[in-house]
Formats: sequence, C-alpha cells, structure tokens
Amino acid sequence: MIRSIYLVARRDYLGYVQAWGFWLGLLLTPLLLAVAIMAPTWAENSQPTRYYAVIESGTSFSTVLNSELNENRVEMARLSLDPASVMGGAEPNEALVAFDEALQSGASIEEALDRAGAPAFELPQAGFVQVPAPATTQEAITPYLLGDQLIDTPEGPMPLFAAIFVPDGDGEIEYWSENVTADTLLRRAKSTERTLAERRIFERAGVDPTLLSRASQETRPVTERRARPASAEGGSQVTMADRAPFYASVLMAFMLWFLIFSVVNYLLMGTIEERSNKIFDSLLTSVKLPHMLAGKLLAVLAVALTLMGVWAIGTTILATALGDMIDPGIRGPIFTVLGSVGDIQLLLPALLSFVLGYLMYGAVFLALGSLCDTIQEAQTLMTPLIVMLMVPMFMITVAISDPESPLIAVMSWVPFFTPFLLILRIPTVLPLWEITGLLVLMIAASLLVLWLASRVYRAGAVHGAGVGDVGKWFGKLVPGKKSKA
Amino acid sequence: MGPAPLELDAVTKRFGSFTAVRDLTMSVPKGSIVGFLGPNGAGKSTSLRMALGVLSPDKGKVSLFGAQPNIESLRHVGFLPEERGLYKKMTARATISYFARLKGMSAGESRKRADELLERMGLGDFARSRVSKLSKGMSQKVQILSSLAHQPDFLILDEPFSGLDPVNQQGLENMIIEEHKRGATILFSTHVMEHAERLCDSIVMMARGRKVFDGTLDEAFGALGRAVLIGVSAGFDLDAALKPKGFHINERSGDIWRVRLPAGVDAQDALRAAIDAGAPITSFRPEEARLRDVFVSLVSEAEAEDLRQSLAADTARKVA
Repeated sequence: MIRSIYLVARRDYLGYVQAWGFWLGLLLTPLLLAVAIMAPTWAENSQPTRYYAVIESGTSFSTVLNSELNENRVEMARLSLDPASVMGGAEPNEALVAFDEALQSGASIEEALDRAGAPAFELPQAGFVQVPAPATTQEAITPYLLGDQLIDTPEGPMPLFAAIFVPDGDGEIEYWSENVTADTLLRRAKSTERTLAERRIFERAGVDPTLLSRASQETRPVTERRARPASAEGGSQVTMADRAPFYASVLMAFMLWFLIFSVVNYLLMGTIEERSNKIFDSLLTSVKLPHMLAGKLLAVLAVALTLMGVWAIGTTILATALGDMIDPGIRGPIFTVLGSVGDIQLLLPALLSFVLGYLMYGAVFLALGSLCDTIQEAQTLMTPLIVMLMVPMFMITVAISDPESPLIAVMSWVPFFTPFLLILRIPTVLPLWEITGLLVLMIAASLLVLWLASRVYRAGAVHGAGVGDVGKWFGKLVPGKKSKA
Repeated sequence: MGPAPLELDAVTKRFGSFTAVRDLTMSVPKGSIVGFLGPNGAGKSTSLRMALGVLSPDKGKVSLFGAQPNIESLRHVGFLPEERGLYKKMTARATISYFARLKGMSAGESRKRADELLERMGLGDFARSRVSKLSKGMSQKVQILSSLAHQPDFLILDEPFSGLDPVNQQGLENMIIEEHKRGATILFSTHVMEHAERLCDSIVMMARGRKVFDGTLDEAFGALGRAVLIGVSAGFDLDAALKPKGFHINERSGDIWRVRLPAGVDAQDALRAAIDAGAPITSFRPEEARLRDVFVSLVSEAEAEDLRQSLAADTARKVA
C-alpha cells in the first residue's frame, strides 16, 4: 500500500517540479509579494515634489498646513527611532524624546533627526514643498499655475502646483490649481482650516489655544492588562507576548489559505492531463483508487511544502544576512510571533486544521479534474470554488481586528471554512465543547468530502463521466429522485 | 495445475438502460492465446474492463487466477487498454520503469528491463526522449512495453494492432508469440481477423453485447459450413442436376455455382456427382474458409436476431 502511494506521489511530484510553472511560481511569488509590499512606498516616492504657495498676511495657515503635510514623515521618523515604543507602547528611548522635543521647539524633521542623533535614515521625500509666493494676486499668479512662468526651486525652475489665498477675517479661502485629480493638498488645506477654526473658537471663548497641546502632555497613560497574561515577567500588563498568538494564528490561517489557493491547481491540471491522456485504466489496474488519490494529494502537499520550505530557507538566509540591519525593536516582536507558532496549544489544532483543510479542498479539486477533458471545462467548475475560497480570506481580515467577532464564530461552523477559522479562534478563550465540536465537525466533513470526491473521481476516471453529468449525479443523491443516466 | 487465468460466469453489465454485455460466460485457459473478436461496440472493452476489476459486473462473477480481481492478482497481469495514453512529459524509459514498479518490480530491475525492451524494439536511441517527442507508433510501442515489462503471467491486450503500420503489426505479432513462448497466457481483442487466424488457439466472438461463438478456429470454420465452387458451360442448370444427389446450391455468380458440402462429404464427392450428372465442367475450386466470413456470418445472424427481438418487442408494446 505505502509503496503504491509513494510511487504515485513520487511520479506526480517529479512531474510538477520539473515543469516551468513550478519554477516560475517559486521565484516570482516572493518577488511579487515584495513588490506588493513595497508598491505603496515606491508609489509615494515616485511622486514628483509639488510646489505650492500660501498667500496670507501672517504664517498661521502655512505653519499648520506644513505640519499636517509632514505627519506621515514624522510618524516614520519616530518609528525608525524607537519601534518598540511606537508599536508596542514601551517607554520611549532617549532618541525619541530628543526628536519630539526638537519638533516641538519648531525644528524641521531633518533637524530633529539630527538632534536625536539618529542613524542614517532615508525619509520618504516630502510630497509638497511650500515656496514663497511669486505674486499676491490671482491674476498675477495664474501664469505660474499654467506653467507659462516658472518658480525657482531646489530642483530648478518648475511650475507652481497650487496657490492658496487665505484672506484676513471671514472671507472664503481659495485653492487654485490646474490639477483637479491630485487632491491631497486640497484635503490638507481643508483640515488645516478646521484646526484654525477650533483655535479661533477657543480664543473667542477666552481659552488659551495652547491648552490643547498641553492636554496631550497631561494625558494619563492607559495600560492594557489582562487576567491571564502570557508572560509572568510583565505582570498583568499586556505585551507582545499576549498578542503574538493572535498574530501567529492569522499567519497560519493565511498560510493554509495560500497553500490551498496556490497548489490545488496542480491537482486539477494533473488530473485533467491524466483524463485527456487516457491513463486511468492503466493506473487502476496497478494501484487501488484510494491509494492513487492519496499519492496525488501527497504529491501536491509535497510541492506546497517544497515551495514554502524554499521560501522559508530563503527568508532565514536573508534575515541572518541582514539581521544586524533590522532594529532590535522590530526583530523582537517578529521572533515573539514566530515563537508563538511553535506553541503546542496552537500548533496541534492548527496542524490538524491544516491537514484536514488541505485534504478537503484537495479532494474536491481532484474530483473536479477527473470530470474535465479541458481546462475550459475545469474553469466552469472552478469559479464557484474560487469564490468560496475567497470567503475565508475575508474572514482572516476580519479576524485581524477582532478574532472574537460573532461573524467568525458563526462562520467557523460552516465545514468548508472551519479549518481556517478554527486556527483563528484558537488563541481566543474557546470553551472545550466548542473546540471539540469544531474538531469533530472538521474530521467528519473531511471524511465525507473524501468519500464523495472518491465517488466522483471513480465516475470520471472509470465511467468517463463529464461536467454535464455532475447535475445528474447530484440528482441521484436526492431521495426519491432517479437519474435516467 | 492452478486455476484458469480468467473466467467470466454469466456476466452482465448495463449502463443505464443500455446493456453493454449480456450473460457472458467465457474462460481463458492457462498457456493459451485467445482472440476476443467482435465489431465496434460489441462489448469487448467493457468485458475486459470487468475482467480487470476496473468495472464491476451488474450480474455474474469474474474470476482472475481463481479469485475476484484485486491488486494482488493484477500484479500478474499486463494490460494494454484500448484508449492509449501515457504521461507526455515522462521519458520512454521512465514510463516503462514506472508501470513496472507499480506492478512490484524494484527500481533498478525495472530500469534495466526498460532499457532492454526499448533496445529490442529499436527504440534504444529514444529511451531518454519525452513521450511527447515520439511518433504515434513509437508511443504505442512504449505503451505495449509498459504493459509487459514486469513479465506478467497473463497479458490482456485491447485492440493491440490498431494504429500500427503493417511492419509494426508484424513486430507486435512476433512479440505476442515470444511472450507466449515465455509462458504467458494471452487474451487480445481485435476486429482484424487475420491476426486472430495467425495467432489464436481459440476465439470468443461478441456481437451486440452477446457471445455468438466460443471455440477453436476449426470449430469456427465448421460453424460456417464448407463449400465448393463449380463452373459449368453456359445454359447448364447445375442446381437441377445436383439436387437429386443431395447437394444444395447456395449462390450463383454467372456460370459459377457455389455448392454447399453437407457434413461428411468432401469437395471430390461434389465434383464426382457433377460429372455423373453430365455437367460440362469448366472450373473447380474448393472454397477456402476465412475467419472473416465466419465473423460476418455470425455477426449478421446476431444482428438479425436482435432486430427480430426488437420488432417483436415493438409489436408487443403496440398490442398492449
């Protein structure tokens, strides 16, 4: 038995890994993932610097607008100085304190970073830079906005992106720009005016506007605590060790989803190839059908593990090589999350979910493949399955913010979603009956799916049933309804 | 002596309302070469798939080496399916080795055997070529080799000659004879009678899902009946001349008369009777019986019988 399974699995595995598609997937997936992660940063950095002018009698509008525009850059700079404090809520280090103080004293971000003694850090470039207004009336400034006349900038002569006229008193603020699609500056200008309006109201009420900024200094810390902390060292205070199991479960659920989504195609295509090449009869006189199915599922699982193994090794090598470049404040939480993956209480049910989830979906795709002669036929059957596979992905995103959401709790009882959602729910405090119930449901559903899939597979492989027979076949399952076929 | 490699006992297989095989009983004795003949759609492939346990019969019993077909008994069987198919991306050598290993051979032994067989079939240079790169004939050879690489005791070949050119057909005939000499029992289906005539000890004929003949080649020719062709001068009525002597004329083509030979009477007796009747004989030739004629005759009878039954059923329905 084991020999037959091994031989089928070995042949299929070698067939898959010798195909071009495997190598493309192996190399391109991490590249595409990296591109997807980096794309927002690249997009931001690839924006040209845009120059604007504020025409006002004082500097109050431009000062607030400037700080609004630099909000993201300030946050990035703070994160680079002390990630543990910014992300995990730990006490700020000296550099962060110095940086914040410098900013409050009116220094620019670059100057504040200098004063904090920050290591070389490449801040994303400023998207909008204020320049002195080349004219003070709308008529005179229009040629600059149209590009007929240019302003002097550090990059050389450039057209003016926008001009904001801020009148004294209650008059309307006018935002002039020829670009009507890039509205970031416009939104920031509106937000600036709201802040200034608040200040004016405070002043009219006789309240010192600086009280607002003092309020933030006097804010008492809110410490998050829990009765059953993950680490005894921190007492009841919630630390990364408490959150790590949730992050780890999300990571594992995503890995299961990714595994199924990326490799079940192999099962489908492999079976279609066997059907169209008419190999089933030769195989079925040499191997028992359940052994053949087991070998095929094992082969694709091995392909998935190979992919993940190579990516994991690659990541480890990269992390080791570049480890010193990663801030300990970031490295620490990452290792805590990875450490949680190895927690037996999470790992065991997760592994079971992993195996059963893969078997369930793998068997369905195998069965479908046995009914199809062409990829076009397969696509008609694939669409509803792909839609169904997207549901757990949405659930994973819901679970990131609220793993105890009632939606997740209800959906976890739908057998096709149980493997993903059980993993997500394990770190929440689940009653024993629920864990047992979900595990039993998952095992029963997997066995039922495997049984049904092997029947469909037999119908496709032995009797030559096709896509059109699926309806008839299900008709047979309905009590009292007989198929003519 | 062990059990017969294959025995089918009153086996029936239906697909919905269509009966593909009806009440088939047959046996393949050890060491024999049995031809399984019938026109397309006669139920040959379905019968063979039942013999291998790929399909289960709705009625009746299949016995392979004395037991129900199972993976253990199938290890002693080599099977060439009617619908040829191989993994296109595998090499010829790997394909043969893979199927031999599935039947229980060790990795090393299977590779050695694959090399040896490929060399013998003139495919040595293509051992490491992918199946997709081989011609249709070459692929077919690879599939045939895959079915016999593990040196099975019983070879079941479904339409092995189809798709092969005459040279390769002869090569395959030789290979079947070699396998038989090695000790293998062979059952092969075909609708090309010449192969069966040359190779088989006995034949089983199918038509419309039913067995219409089961016996040796001599018995098959006997079933058709023998005849002699006598040519006479124009205007002579040979039928009238021979009838009183107990001979019957089957057909007449111009002045050539086909005289059926009753049991125990040979061609010389018919010639003598014609001379005695004063026939002006111009030619004389005993008819050489061919399996093709037996086949056409039996299949036509079966089809006529089917048609009769179908009409009777229709009439009964209308009356009801």
